[in-house]
Amino acid sequence: MPHLTLPIGQGGPVLDIVIGVSQARQNALTANKQPVPPSVRIRGLVDTGASCTCVDPSILASLQLSPTGTTTMHTPSTGASPGTANLYDASIVLVHPQLSLTFFNQAVAESVLAVQGIHALIGRDILAKCLLTYDGQSKLFILAF
Amino acid sequence: MALEAELEHFETIKDGLIAANAGKFALVHGKELVEVFNSYEDALKAGYGRFGLQPFLVKQIQAIETVQFISRLFDPPSCHI
Repeated sequence: MPHLTLPIGQGGPVLDIVIGVSQARQNALTANKQPVPPSVRIRGLVDTGASCTCVDPSILASLQLSPTGTTTMHTPSTGASPGTANLYDASIVLVHPQLSLTFFNQAVAESVLAVQGIHALIGRDILAKCLLTYDGQSKLFILAF
Repeated sequence: MALEAELEHFETIKDGLIAANAGKFALVHGKELVEVFNSYEDALKAGYGRFGLQPFLVKQIQAIETVQFISRLFDPPSCHI
């Protein structure tokens, strides 16, 4: 099983991921003779407290994405009643030198994160395909997939 | 708000869809239910295949919508309560 062993820094278990337009959107762009926005490498926090993967709006804008859904979302700042957030479809790659894991059509929720020094929360929807080991004593985490 | 027409239409038809389609994914374009699919990916592919880059909505059909929990403090920019 391919795995990444990475340090746990001050910001927690953070790793680089590659995000781009979804495969379905890429096909539509190509069919319409539109340029495909290049994928971007961003910093993502592995967050077991996030039930879904979230991405900063600046990244979604750079990929020229439009929402294709909404989700009900509860955060500490939404108070007692959950709010509604836009969902976008994207591709996400967990980069490994030998065998990367690609999610070709992944729904991601729009969330302001850049102010925290990250551009994505890697939520439990993606972690459901992975094995995560958090070794606090060694200040390392391992993500296998 | 993005997808306003699609979301409004989905709310009007949702109750009628639940009995036979709970858990499936509705593809809505404007004020039209296009089709119901077994998976998110299938609905997404059909949406882009039929409507290209025009707006469309993919929404799971649920009696009570699943709430996503994010413990990290932030405000989703599109969040409206």
